[in-house]
Amino acid sequence: MEIFRKKQADGSLSHVELLYQLQQRKQMQFRANVAISWIFLLLILYVLFSGDSLGLGAIQLDTDFIKENFTFIAQGVGDTLYISFLSIVLAIILALLAALGRLSTFPPFYALSTFYVSLMRGTPLYLQIFFFFLALPQIIPWWAQVPGLWAGVLALGMNYGAYMSETFRAGISSVGKGQREAAIALGMTNGQMMRRIVLPQALRFAIPPMGNDFIAMTKDSAMVAATGFVHELMWRATRVGRTNLRNLEALIMAAFFYWIMTLILTAIQSRIEARLGKGDR
Amino acid sequence: MSAPIVRVTGLKKYFGRLEVLKGINLDVQSREVVCLIGRSGSGKSTMLRCINFLEEPSEGEIEIHGLKIPAGGKGKEHQKLVHEARLLTGMVFQDFNLFPHMSILENVMEAPVIVKGMDRAKAKEIAEMNLARVGMLFKKDEYPNRISGGQKQRVAIARALAMQPMVMLFDEPTSALDPELIGEVLEVMKGLAKEGTTMLVVTHEMGFAREVADRIIVMNEGQLIEEGTPKEILDHPKQKQTQALLDRYRSADK
Repeated sequence: MEIFRKKQADGSLSHVELLYQLQQRKQMQFRANVAISWIFLLLILYVLFSGDSLGLGAIQLDTDFIKENFTFIAQGVGDTLYISFLSIVLAIILALLAALGRLSTFPPFYALSTFYVSLMRGTPLYLQIFFFFLALPQIIPWWAQVPGLWAGVLALGMNYGAYMSETFRAGISSVGKGQREAAIALGMTNGQMMRRIVLPQALRFAIPPMGNDFIAMTKDSAMVAATGFVHELMWRATRVGRTNLRNLEALIMAAFFYWIMTLILTAIQSRIEARLGKGDR
Repeated sequence: MSAPIVRVTGLKKYFGRLEVLKGINLDVQSREVVCLIGRSGSGKSTMLRCINFLEEPSEGEIEIHGLKIPAGGKGKEHQKLVHEARLLTGMVFQDFNLFPHMSILENVMEAPVIVKGMDRAKAKEIAEMNLARVGMLFKKDEYPNRISGGQKQRVAIARALAMQPMVMLFDEPTSALDPELIGEVLEVMKGLAKEGTTMLVVTHEMGFAREVADRIIVMNEGQLIEEGTPKEILDHPKQKQTQALLDRYRSADK
């Protein structure tokens, strides 16, 4: 960077510095234009849904209903995040085990892994949520009262775990043979090599796609509402929407919350990625 | 003569039906520097990798500092012997293989802490000492992607030394380096040789072999065809394959 700062003897800007400034100005201009376009698009969306207030709106919304039920629906954000968080933790554990199974040379472990992934990817998530909801009380009788939330977490976690195992497997395979040989030559056991050398590098590789999965999961968690026992965003929206015959308003409000959550999570994700990028790859 | 540090007896290695090593016998004495030369594909690297069982030997026996390991062993007992053999040998690879997610210091501390269970303070002391030995202490907090290839290889040497092995195995340590970076690595290796480190070096660097080796061994098509002092091998080779190999190096140097 020093080269850019260096002024020429007569105080004028050097050629390199001029070029650098030009590029920076271009980039800033581009960003500004993108921001303006975003605001314009948001404005269109607002006008579309503004109803009576502007007299232009194509879709009529009951603003009183929205004001009255805003807090009730907003309270679902906590549960939505809670379910998503529990599910992603379960998914990461299962994905790791499934990925190790997939790379294992021990047939039963390999079979278990491929069987699990095939089953979870081969059936709809919506169905899985119902399945766990209906099956769990029969398998574990004393759990008859609990399942709403846990059925959802189990289904989401197992489903996402199956998809994420591919990410993990790619991450583990991306660690070169040389790394393993170096670890082995230093006297590490296979377990030590995995824990200390391979998995940390694989995880680094897998973190960005994991972020994407988490963001996707916050929205798929809406399906858990179907069981009727988890009071997350979607459940609250459908409930007040139905009782007041204001389904569209309620759903738009839920959509608003999901979107805001996604925006925040995306911002966090890009910050994490920037930090990872700075590291040592 | 006292017992050798490394003794290879009747070593054979097959990859499928291909016989890569055709019965090799080799001793490396304590404090000796042995350079192994030969055309690529002659089996030099495979032989080196058999000594610490990165390649499982097909036949024969490897003995390291009195620890005898026959080829073809299986089960827990064999695994234990192999593990012990690896603790007695330090390996330096052609492409360094530093751990990219750890700092230079952590790279060197890792095995003493994890494998030997050494406490971190002691491991740090040993790591710093060995980094100083290869002239890399000043970069100890950097990550591997921030240093040059020659520096990486010097750190890799320190990493192997930190396990305090009985013998250092070098597998073409300068072959992946830009020409201007080779010198610094060879300097470090010369320093080790002067300190009396037992070394077995697979190399194409004839200058290094002439200056540092106590003995040069020539390998051809999976066999040792000639051995002797650098003077004998480089100036008065007896085998015509050795002569051909040396001619090849000389023409490459021009």
